[in-house]
Amino acid sequence: MTTMTTVSARGTVQVENLTQIHRSGERTTHALDNISFTIPAGKFVSVVGPSGCGKSSLLMLLVGLAQSTSGELRVAGRPVAGPDPARIGVVFQEANLFPWLTARKNVEFPLMIRNMSVKERETKARDALELVGLDEFGDRYPHELSGGMRQRVSIARGIVQDPDVLMMDEPFAALDEQTRMVMGDELLRIWERTGKTVVFVTHSLTEAIYLSDHVLVLSARPGRIIDRIDIDLPRPRTFELTSSAEFIQIRNRIWEQIRTA
Amino acid sequence: MVCPTAKTTRRIIVLILLACWELLPRLGVIPSLFLPPLTLTAAALFSEFSVYWQHLLVTLQEVGAALFFACGGGILCGMLLGSSTRLRRLLLPVVSSAYAIPLVVLYPLFTAWFGIGMQSKVVFASVYGFLPTLLGAAAGIQTIDRSLMMTARSMGASPVQQIRYVLLPATMPTVLSSLRIGGALVIVGVVVSEMLTSTAGIGFLISRYRTMLDSPRVFAAILLVLMLAILFDLLVQFAERRFTGWKKNVPAKTFP
Ligand SMILES: Nc1ncnc2c1ncn2[C@@H]1O[C@H](COP(=O)(O)OP(=O)(O)OP(=O)(O)O)[C@@H](O)[C@H]1O
Ligand SMILES: [Mg+2]
Repeated sequence: MTTMTTVSARGTVQVENLTQIHRSGERTTHALDNISFTIPAGKFVSVVGPSGCGKSSLLMLLVGLAQSTSGELRVAGRPVAGPDPARIGVVFQEANLFPWLTARKNVEFPLMIRNMSVKERETKARDALELVGLDEFGDRYPHELSGGMRQRVSIARGIVQDPDVLMMDEPFAALDEQTRMVMGDELLRIWERTGKTVVFVTHSLTEAIYLSDHVLVLSARPGRIIDRIDIDLPRPRTFELTSSAEFIQIRNRIWEQIRTA
Repeated sequence: MVCPTAKTTRRIIVLILLACWELLPRLGVIPSLFLPPLTLTAAALFSEFSVYWQHLLVTLQEVGAALFFACGGGILCGMLLGSSTRLRRLLLPVVSSAYAIPLVVLYPLFTAWFGIGMQSKVVFASVYGFLPTLLGAAAGIQTIDRSLMMTARSMGASPVQQIRYVLLPATMPTVLSSLRIGGALVIVGVVVSEMLTSTAGIGFLISRYRTMLDSPRVFAAILLVLMLAILFDLLVQFAERRFTGWKKNVPAKTFP
């Protein structure tokens, strides 16, 4: 894969007055309240907030898997009407690989859905697997891979159609701390090589600050945006940075907001 | 998975059993009225092969039809039941209780309703295999990871594609294991009902020869039933290897 970084304006994410109220039977849950933000193309943005504040709800809306109660949502200037993996790649907390398919076939799955030719599928899947460093493991079944490798396959599947935006809901939450850090660096490498916009939901403040250009802080339910913090720390980011005074200051600031909100 | 030693061991066990079948009656350990030697049994089978064949065909037809109803219906209903919480709450207790009824005692009713020909066998075996298959399918469908469907949807799969590429492969292990349960029961149901009241079929031969105390012929018929059951199991095993090979080594999901 070429290492050209071309940030396309198509990766812009705009959210206006988004409100989400879940209804299940009699009960209603006000998950998101009047959320607005814009993410410029090619940026890495994390979303943090207390548990149950509506982060996953927000992501489900962003990837077209749910309908908002009100508000507008545009990627590349066009509204998001439903899942559109060619434009928006998705990675969930669990890798959610199909256990009856090899890693390669899993990555090819979204292409097969679109009836792409076998040849083209294979080329794209190979490139995507190579990008996540798993070109040797294409013939393995999910249960033959480690948790980290499975999540890499899931990322490869999310970006195999070269979408402009990659949306991730706590993609590393199920991994141990070391694997998680390695995967973070890996993701940054992929992001830098491909120039995609990344929306990254996480519980870990350290992870959010370490990876991102901007961090969106949501309040407890109903989720509102209570802060948007620009992370001006130099790149490439290193592990030492996480113990620098500046880093800790940012983290304390976010924590204070989440605690008191 | 199968290491050669296990395979060899299995073969040796089968050979030992066959040898016992031949030798124990020959040596007088077991009277040959109770267990005729294997060679005599085989001789009985071959000397009257056309009779056995004719009756085997009847049994096969009954088994085939009953499999269709028991497994087809059982798997379909089981999946419907298993995938709807409401239906499950409503019907599963009823089905489980119904399962406890010893159906064989109802067989005279079946002959009264459907006669003593093939119909009563098919209906009885279908009913006999239906409930366990249904229960197996209902339990199996619940182990399917629902997030896989959502994942497929997130990748733009249409409802039809979700069924074809996700639901079908994911339910295949359940379908096959239900088929195994149902198939074994259907064979039992058909043969037992033939033994009770009938005019044709392997079960009919078993009970006719038994009243004549013709042990070699009884055992020849039993041998055919055994072979039928083994053949069926081999077919299911083949399908399992073909369609659910990925299942091996997958750590079993916790049962809900
Ligand atoms: N499909 C749904 N139907 C009804 N309520 C829902 C649904 N999805 C989420 N909720 C509710 O909306 C609220 C927000 O849930 P959400 O999963 O978005 O939170 P979250 O920020 O992702 O939480 P966590 O950090 O624990 O993952 C919760 O109270 C949840 O119970
Ligand atoms: Mg969540």
